[in-house]
Amino acid sequence: MANDVKPTRKNLMEIEDRIDLSERGHDTLEQKRDGLIMEFMDILDQAQDVREQLEADYDTAQDKINKARAMEGDVAVRGAAAALKEHPEITTQSKNIMGVVVPQIESSKVKKNLDERGYGVLGSSARIDEAADAYEELLESIILAAEVETAMKKMLEEIETTKRRVNALEFKLLPELNENKEYIEQKLEEQEREEIFRLKKIKAKKEEEEKEEEEEREAAAKAEAEAIETGVAESDD
Amino acid sequence: MSSHGGTSNPEYVNARVRSRRAALFEEDDYRKLARMSPAEIARFMEESPAYEEQINALGSRFSGVDLIEYALNASLAEDFEDILSWCEGALYGHVARYLRKFDAWNVKTVLRGVYADTDREAVSDDLIRAGEFDDRLLERLLDADSIEEIVELLSGTVFGRALGDALDDYESTGVLVPLENAVDRAYYKLLRTDDLTGEALSEYREFLEAEIDFRNAINTLRLARSGADIDPSEYFIEGGVLFSAAGLRQLASNTDELIQRIRESRYGEELSEALTELEAAESLIGFERALEVALLEYADSLGLVHPLSVTPVVSYVLTKEREVDNIRAIARGKEAGLGPEEIESELVVL
Repeated sequence: MANDVKPTRKNLMEIEDRIDLSERGHDTLEQKRDGLIMEFMDILDQAQDVREQLEADYDTAQDKINKARAMEGDVAVRGAAAALKEHPEITTQSKNIMGVVVPQIESSKVKKNLDERGYGVLGSSARIDEAADAYEELLESIILAAEVETAMKKMLEEIETTKRRVNALEFKLLPELNENKEYIEQKLEEQEREEIFRLKKIKAKKEEEEKEEEEEREAAAKAEAEAIETGVAESDD
Repeated sequence: MSSHGGTSNPEYVNARVRSRRAALFEEDDYRKLARMSPAEIARFMEESPAYEEQINALGSRFSGVDLIEYALNASLAEDFEDILSWCEGALYGHVARYLRKFDAWNVKTVLRGVYADTDREAVSDDLIRAGEFDDRLLERLLDADSIEEIVELLSGTVFGRALGDALDDYESTGVLVPLENAVDRAYYKLLRTDDLTGEALSEYREFLEAEIDFRNAINTLRLARSGADIDPSEYFIEGGVLFSAAGLRQLASNTDELIQRIRESRYGEELSEALTELEAAESLIGFERALEVALLEYADSLGLVHPLSVTPVVSYVLTKEREVDNIRAIARGKEAGLGPEEIESELVVL
């Protein structure tokens, strides 16, 4: 608040420095926000494609497993699933997009060869193979969607934070600093005017005193001259 | 296990099988079932003498489509157990040869149960007690705590040697594939037709050869489509007439040639449409279904030429199996929200 600031030149200089810094920060953050939005739009397009692929893969996988359960029986499908113990693994790393740390998910052992799925090849069917294939595809899509959508969420959070910072600088800090600056400038001008006025007053008073002293001196001299004149006359008499 | 000494009794078994065959669902029944909800299908089955007992017995433990599937499996098991119990002499051997596929199923189910640490009751529910293994052996298998114990328990059976040979592979890789393949290979070895001589058994021999040829064809296509560097001759099953191990290795790298080989074979005419579809489509499912239809057609024609042989019995076994598959497909299809037309397109009906 402007009233809390001491209207001194030192404070004025400090505020001017802060305004300068804040304006530069505001410009930088605005550029960052715009850059993040552009990156976000790219990721958004990718995320939409990935999501569509995920939904398509899910429908395919459901269709394949339903048909496998129908034609082979639930018991056979469960049995084939029970023959597999080795589960897929994922490892996460991170990458930096404009200062935002987003995950990079690497998966392994998702796609398996026919002889790696646990169930015997000789006694099983193409329906079970295709259901397993479809679920492996689905799992890969889920992993990709997790990576892209997490990146998108993190970018969105960063955009929100940057936007809040830009707005705080633009609508709160900079107006306050400018208000303070104006306040101090006004106060300083006022003080200057008061000083000039005071000096003028002193000067006028001094001149008046000098005038009075002059007048007194003149009166005294006049009186002295009159006295001398009176003394001369009396002596003449 | 039934006694199977004495002379063959196909007249008696065929007479009993004929009456059972008459009770099987017709195409119209499937059409009706495809328009029912799973609960209505269960009620429809309850009204059928073939499934009434199983639906009532399992009704307190299962519900919905699971009840239907378990009742179908139980009915299949009881039906085939009855057939085996009626058979005598060589007939028993011929029928049991085919029904050992359920023994193979049960061995794989028990292996998977122990491997995945599934509870005993759940594994027991998944068994189809339609093969040669008696309940005592199955119970002992269910009680086993380790894969090694199961292999040990099966050492005296037709699967013993193959499982024993594959155990080292299992122990070094930690996956069930070698054991499952050993069980299936042992079963297909039993299907070999070297001992099926004589005109009366010629159709049965042809049918078993077709089953092995179809299995080799579909497995080679599966391996070729998977893109994995697997030698198809490792999965070759002896006993068919269409392929050899070396030939299959070559055909696996050129599926067009493989399709051409089937087209030019004795199965070409029946599979012509499915082969054309296969050339155009990514999926093998349509082709697999076409092979099932072709096998069923073989089964249907079995026994027409030699009505007093094993063939009408095997024909019934396949038709009953197909009925169970079709009813399950309808119920599971309804559960998954498939429409009647889509369900009907998945059924295998002659």
